[in-house]
Amino acid sequence: MDFLLNLLPHLYNGISLGLLFALIALGFMLIVGVMEVINLAHGSLFALGAYFAIALIGFKVNYYIAFLLAPLLVAAVGMLLELCMRRTYGKDSLYGLLLTFGAALVIEEVIRLAWGSGEKQLVVPPELSGAMLVGGLIYAKYRLYASLAALGFIFLLYVFLEKTPYGAMIKAGAHDSEMVRALGINLTRLRLFVFALGTALAAVAGIVLAPIWGVRPHMGVDAVIPAFLIIVLGGVGSFWGAVLAGIMVGIVVGITGAYASEWSLLSMYLLLIALVTFRARGLLGKKTALEA
Amino acid sequence: MKRNRRKLLQMLAAGSAFYGPWTVNRVWSQAAQKKPLVIGLTMDASGQYGASGTDERLGAMLAIREFNDKGGVLGRRIEALHMDTETTPATGSRVAERMITRNEAAFLVGALHSGVANAISQVAQRYGCVYFNTNSSSPTEAGKDCHRVKFVWDGNGTNFAHAIVKNAIRVNGRNWVLLTNDYVWGHQTSKATRALVEANGGKIVEELMVPQNTRDFTSYLLKLQQIKPNVVAAAVGGDDIKALRQQVVQSKLDKAFAWINNQQDWPDVYGLGPDAVFGVFGTNWYYRLDLPGVKEFVAKYQKTYPGVQIKVPGNVFYNGYVSTRELLRCVEEAGTTNNLAVIKKLEGRKMSAVDRMQTHEAYINAATHQCQQTIYMASYNDKPAEPDDIFRILSSAPPQEVEDKDAIGACKLESYEATPSYEQ
Repeated sequence: MDFLLNLLPHLYNGISLGLLFALIALGFMLIVGVMEVINLAHGSLFALGAYFAIALIGFKVNYYIAFLLAPLLVAAVGMLLELCMRRTYGKDSLYGLLLTFGAALVIEEVIRLAWGSGEKQLVVPPELSGAMLVGGLIYAKYRLYASLAALGFIFLLYVFLEKTPYGAMIKAGAHDSEMVRALGINLTRLRLFVFALGTALAAVAGIVLAPIWGVRPHMGVDAVIPAFLIIVLGGVGSFWGAVLAGIMVGIVVGITGAYASEWSLLSMYLLLIALVTFRARGLLGKKTALEA
Repeated sequence: MKRNRRKLLQMLAAGSAFYGPWTVNRVWSQAAQKKPLVIGLTMDASGQYGASGTDERLGAMLAIREFNDKGGVLGRRIEALHMDTETTPATGSRVAERMITRNEAAFLVGALHSGVANAISQVAQRYGCVYFNTNSSSPTEAGKDCHRVKFVWDGNGTNFAHAIVKNAIRVNGRNWVLLTNDYVWGHQTSKATRALVEANGGKIVEELMVPQNTRDFTSYLLKLQQIKPNVVAAAVGGDDIKALRQQVVQSKLDKAFAWINNQQDWPDVYGLGPDAVFGVFGTNWYYRLDLPGVKEFVAKYQKTYPGVQIKVPGNVFYNGYVSTRELLRCVEEAGTTNNLAVIKKLEGRKMSAVDRMQTHEAYINAATHQCQQTIYMASYNDKPAEPDDIFRILSSAPPQEVEDKDAIGACKLESYEATPSYEQ
């Protein structure tokens, strides 16, 4: 009984961490799903979101307004990146990988040039900071708000994808882009929009996680690897797969962090290996033609 | 005739433009004629210790600049060659190999991560190239992983544990938890802390391993609250300690236990804000030590690097500077770059407190090749004289009091005969 009681806060922590992981992965998933491009610059755009927010707050912009504006700025950068990517469409996927890898390096160096290589702080408003008691244990308030924000963005994205015509177009684009084009939908514009949305989500994740992980030019590396792992685990292109996988990864990392801490980072990779061994398409991935 | 005179004038002008500077500065002209002395800076620019690696590079560069301003060393201009070791041991090996075999580096300087330092030193020993471990602090570096060509300049985990453990048990209590970065420095530092805690009547109730690049410490913080120790002794470094400090402050757990951080590197705490500087920690230098030469050194740093984010030098920069300066002095004294001659100058070398801007005289233990020096204990300064004045120095321990005695038994230096002669 004591063990279970002790386990509870770690479960709660795992779920909240999982929601944050899911938030990081969603933008990544969107771009992979629709454009079949593994955007290796996702981590750098995640970092850029945090830096833009810091810069805006530095210009005396309110935190909440900065929270809304910074992803829009990153979305503009994402759109530029998408324009550069157009020449790679229809070619070997390696071209897209190389281009986004190059973009990741460029963005990271631009961050170093603009903001320096030292640590920065994204200061959150007083109402979001402080501590609270969860089951007799002290827990950072911001962590709770960050998880709630992640939950909110997951819900909003779900509503957007499921309940709006734009969401339907994106899903159709992910399923069969040629058919979408045949139906008269401007696929070029759709891709541009998806890329902007995906990168804006990366920026949102960066802003949410910045006060927890800290802000430094290479912080994106800490995000892109779990994001990649989560979309593979959840099934490439699956919205709920990514959310479920994010929460699973969070729980596994949170619990191993408490009970076998040296395994905490490794545990997510072990989870991936275990799952992919028995279910190669991930949790909610679609069957391939060969499997059907 | 007119054309010839014009040609002559043009030749004179070109000649004076080319030779002019050399005749004005004869020292430079002499140095330029000889092959430059290449010093390989094996320092991280990315990964867990990227920020500290950049800082120690500036320190080494300042020492090199000072010597070049005097005409170089042995009449040779010094060239610094930097390659990013990426906080990765395999990269460290590759960089060391390349610097020695392709770039003809005479000496290698730099390390933050003990795994990287160990990897570099193995390559350096194979060729006989003298290597300075500037800032990595695993006790094994001057213990079982020591080498004839390697010299360790920072205080190590055992030095800092000696300086702090006994008093911390008395003041804070007997039940300790170790928070250990899961690599060689963390392991060895926690091992030394454990031994001292147990020898002084304390008890290690739990050791929590922190994998490198951990960004979320919440599960650790929850676990600590469930354990309820008196003291949390952290051997966590680089970006990991930055994240840990921020999350401890967010959770308001900075006062829930007594926090001890074995060694607190300046770049890992600079810019985090005053709240994040909690607990007691060790360092081997601070920019506001009331000692001769410190103010001038700080002024020199600020004049040389006006645009850097870290506005005042810290321990990592200091180690990069003093070690490189000492290397070049030894080369000058030896009158050669031959490795064995330089090693002999370094072994047992004594360095005055004034020269090193520390409280006590320092020396290089000939049996371990570690620089034994003053170790300071510090905490947050609640009465800062200026915004960067965030440390309050609590005490200073002379090197003899904190020396790592186990290292002497563990270190088996290769003989001179087994060390290849190396000269560039």
